[in-house]
Amino acid sequence: MAKQKNKSAFVGLKVTSEQAETLARLQRTLKPGTKTEVLLKGLELLAARTADASPPQPREILSPAPELAASDELERLESQALRYLSDLQETRNRSEEVMRRMVKNIAQTDKIITHYGSDRNYLIQILLDIQRDNRWLPRDALMWVSEKLDIPLSRIYHIATFYKAFSLVPQGRHQVSVCLGTACHVRGAPRLLEKVADSLQIRPGETSRDLKFSLNTVNCLGCCALGPVMVVDEAYHSNPTTAEMADIFAACD
Amino acid sequence: MPKLKSAAALAARRREIQERYKKLTTVAVTDGSDGRTRGSRGVAQAFRDEITKQGLGDKVIVRQTGCQGFCEQEPTVLIMPGETCYVGVAEADVSEIVTQTLGRGEIVTRLLYTDPATGQAVAKESDIPFYKTQSRLVLGANRWLDMLSIDDYLALGGYAALAKALEMGPEAVLDEVKKSGLRGRGGGGFPTGIKWETTRNAPEATKYVIVNADEGDPGAYMDRSLLEGNPHSVIEGLIIGAYAIGARQGFVYVRQEYPLAVANLEVALEQAREYGLLGPNILGSGFDFDVAIHRGAGAFVSGESSALMTAIEGRVGEPRPKYIRTAFSGIGGKPSNLNNVETWANVPLIINRGAAWYAETGTKNSKGTKIFSLVGKVNNTGLVEVPMGTTLRQIIYDIGGGIPGGKKFKAVQTGGPSGGVIPESKLDTPIDFDELNKIGSMMGSGGMIVMDEDNCMVDVARYFLDFLAGESCGQCVPCREGIHQMLKILNRICASEGKPGDIELLGEIAEVVQKASLCALGATAPNPVLSTLKYFGDEYRAHIKDKRCPAGVCQDLIAYYIDPAKCQGCLICLRNCPAGAISGDKNLIHIIDQARCTKCNTCFEVCPPRFNAVRKISGEPLPEAVAPGTAVKRKRGEQDE
Repeated sequence: MAKQKNKSAFVGLKVTSEQAETLARLQRTLKPGTKTEVLLKGLELLAARTADASPPQPREILSPAPELAASDELERLESQALRYLSDLQETRNRSEEVMRRMVKNIAQTDKIITHYGSDRNYLIQILLDIQRDNRWLPRDALMWVSEKLDIPLSRIYHIATFYKAFSLVPQGRHQVSVCLGTACHVRGAPRLLEKVADSLQIRPGETSRDLKFSLNTVNCLGCCALGPVMVVDEAYHSNPTTAEMADIFAACD
Repeated sequence: MPKLKSAAALAARRREIQERYKKLTTVAVTDGSDGRTRGSRGVAQAFRDEITKQGLGDKVIVRQTGCQGFCEQEPTVLIMPGETCYVGVAEADVSEIVTQTLGRGEIVTRLLYTDPATGQAVAKESDIPFYKTQSRLVLGANRWLDMLSIDDYLALGGYAALAKALEMGPEAVLDEVKKSGLRGRGGGGFPTGIKWETTRNAPEATKYVIVNADEGDPGAYMDRSLLEGNPHSVIEGLIIGAYAIGARQGFVYVRQEYPLAVANLEVALEQAREYGLLGPNILGSGFDFDVAIHRGAGAFVSGESSALMTAIEGRVGEPRPKYIRTAFSGIGGKPSNLNNVETWANVPLIINRGAAWYAETGTKNSKGTKIFSLVGKVNNTGLVEVPMGTTLRQIIYDIGGGIPGGKKFKAVQTGGPSGGVIPESKLDTPIDFDELNKIGSMMGSGGMIVMDEDNCMVDVARYFLDFLAGESCGQCVPCREGIHQMLKILNRICASEGKPGDIELLGEIAEVVQKASLCALGATAPNPVLSTLKYFGDEYRAHIKDKRCPAGVCQDLIAYYIDPAKCQGCLICLRNCPAGAISGDKNLIHIIDQARCTKCNTCFEVCPPRFNAVRKISGEPLPEAVAPGTAVKRKRGEQDE
C-alpha cells in the first residue's frame, strides 16, 4: 500500500533507489495536513535537482543548501504551500467565521440578482455590482450567480477575466490609478507611473501585502487638462512630485 | 408632477417655467468631472451659502452645469444676464463675486480671463478667444442647464423637437434626418438617415435603438461631457430616432469609468418618465418607449457595434463578423440601430430647425459641427465645437492658443488608436470625414492630441500599439498576433536594437492586419504606425541606423550629460537624483556616473533654466568627463547676474 502511494507521487521521475527512499521517509515525517499536492511538487523538484548530484544526506534536504533556497521556483512553491496551509488552517479553526462570511457573500449577491429581476441579460451589471460592494469577485458569489441564473461558471469567468473592471483577487482599500491616456502619455505619464510604483513599492496591477493600496493604470479619465494624472480613490492629483505623493499616501488610513 | 399628456400640456409647462426663470439672475458654476477635480462642488455650495447670507435667495439661481469645454480654466463661473465670465474660481473668491457682481453689478477684474496675446482682461465669455470662433450648436446648451434639472432643459425649448416629431410622423422625421446629411459622430461617418432607414425596413417587429457611450478613445471626452451636462438632449434624440425607426426599447451603453455620467443619466431618465416623456403613450401620441442603462465594464473593443450588442445581452463583448449587419440582426437577433452620443444630440436640432438650416453648416459631404477634444501640448486644453471644414491650424492656434513653452509644433494625432498623425505641412487641411481619410488619419470620435518637438513619433506609434495589443480581444489571428509582432519590432527599435529591414517588415505586417482582421479594431490598428512612417520616416531611420532618438525620449538611446562649461556647482541635481548617480560638491563641477544613471530625467528637469547645464545626448559619443573635483568656471559677466 505504502509502496503504491510512493509510486503515484513520483510518477515519471527518475530517481536512484536511495533518493526514493529519502523522499519516502520525508513524506512519512510530514504531518497529515501538509500532504498537499504542492509540497509533493516541491519534493519532486528537489529530487530532480539532486538527481545528478551525489546522493544527499537526509539532514541536507531538511535544511536546504543555499543554492536550493535561492531557487525561485522552490520559493514560489513554498509560499504557495504555506498559503494553502493557512487557508486550510483558517477553515478548520474558524469554520464558523468563514461560514458566516460565505453566507454574507451569498446573501448580498442574491439581493443584487433580485434587483436585476434574475435576468440573465444583466449578468455583467450584476458582476459590476458585486465588484463594487466587495472590491473583488469572491468565488462563493460567482458560484451563486452561476447557480441562480443557470449560467455555466466558465462563462462567468470568461466575462470576469475579459473586462478590466473585474478582479479575481481582493483589491486594496485604496485604489491608486495612473492615467496612461494619450494626452497624459505625451505629457510624461510613464515617468509618473514609475514614481508612483516606487513610492508604493508595488507594480501596476498589484496590491500591497497589507491590502492598503492597489495600483492600476487606466486609459483616459477625460480630464486631460490636468495630465499626467494620478487618482487616489476619488481625488485627482495633477502630476504630483515624489514629496507630494508621500503626503497623499500617508493621509490614507 | 402629473404626466404631460399632450404637446399642448408640454408647451404650457414650458411657459410656466420660463415665466418663473425670467426674473432670476443665474450663476452657472461648471461642475462636470473636470471641474470637480478642481473643487467646483465647494464653489457651488459656497455660492448658495453666500447668496442666502446676503439675502439674495429669491433673486438668484445657482446652476451646477456640465463642462463648458474650457477645461484649462475650470471651474469657471458665468453670470447672466451680462455674460460675465470668471475663470479659475476658488471658494475664497465667492463672497467677493456675490457682493460686487450680484449685489452692485460691478465686475471683479482680477478673476477675469486675461488674453495672453493682448494682456487685456476679457469680461464676456463670448469675447474670450477660445470661444470666439467656435460654433457651439450642441455643446453650447451646457452652460444654461443645471445637470440635474429637466425644467432647465424645458425652459430652453427641450422636448419641443419630440413634440414636433410626433406630429410629423415617422416617415417625415426619417426624411428630415436623411436630408440634413447628418453622419455618425462615433468615427465611421456613416449617414445616419440611411442607417435608420435600414433598421426601420428590416423585417422584424421588435427593434432596438442604442446610444453608444463607450467612449474608449484615450484623449476624447466630449460624449462624457454631453451625458453629464445635457443628458436630456441625448434622450430626446433617442426617443425621436426610436419613433422614426419603430423601436419601443432603447439602451444606453455607457462606460462605468464615467460615474457622474451614469448618475446624471439615471436621474434624467427618471425625470423623463415622471413627465411622461418616456413610457407608455408619450405625449398622448400612442407611441410607447423606454430606455435601460447598461454599464460597460472596461473593454475598448466593446465599443464596436456588434461587440457592444453582445455585451448588452450579458455576454462577453467581442465582435462578430458582420456578414449580416446589426441593422438586420443586432441584440437578440433583432434589428438594432446604434448611434454615438453626439449623433443623437444633433437630432433634436435638426427636427427643431429643419434639415435645410442644419445643412447650411459644414462641407459638401459632412454637415453640421463636430466636437473635438483638444488635448496634449496645447495652451487651451478643452472641448471645441467647430463647423466641419474648419482647418486644424484654426483649431490648434486660434482656439487652442498654440503650443506652450515656446516649443515647436510637431504633429497632431486624430482619431484615437485607429487614426493617424498629421504633420505641420497638412495643418491647413479643412477637416471633415473625407479629408481626414485622405491624409491617412480619420475623424474617429474627435480626439485631437497635439504633440511638440519633445515627442518621439516612434514612441507614439509604440504607445498606440501597446494600447491595442492590450485591448485586442484575441479572436482573430491577424489582430492578435500582428499587433503583437509590430509592437515587438517597435520595442526593439526604441531599445536601440533596430535592424535594417524593420521598416519594410512593419509595412508587410501592417498590410495583413489591415486586410485580414475581423473587426475595425484590427483593420485600423496599423494606422498610427503607417502614418508616422509616412510623415516621420526619418525618425525611424535615425533610431535604427544612427541609434539616435531625435526627440530625446527613448531611454535606451539617450544619455544625460552635465556640460562642464555651464555647470555652476549648485547641488540641485545632485540632491534630487534618485539613483545617487551624480557626484560633485558645492562649486565643483557635477558629474553623472553613467553606470548608475537610470535616465529618469530628474536632473534635466531640475537644473535651473538660467544654467541649462544638463544635456540629453543621443546618437553621438559622450564627451569626456572632467576630472572629479574640478572647480566651476564662472565668467565675470555671468557672476553678476
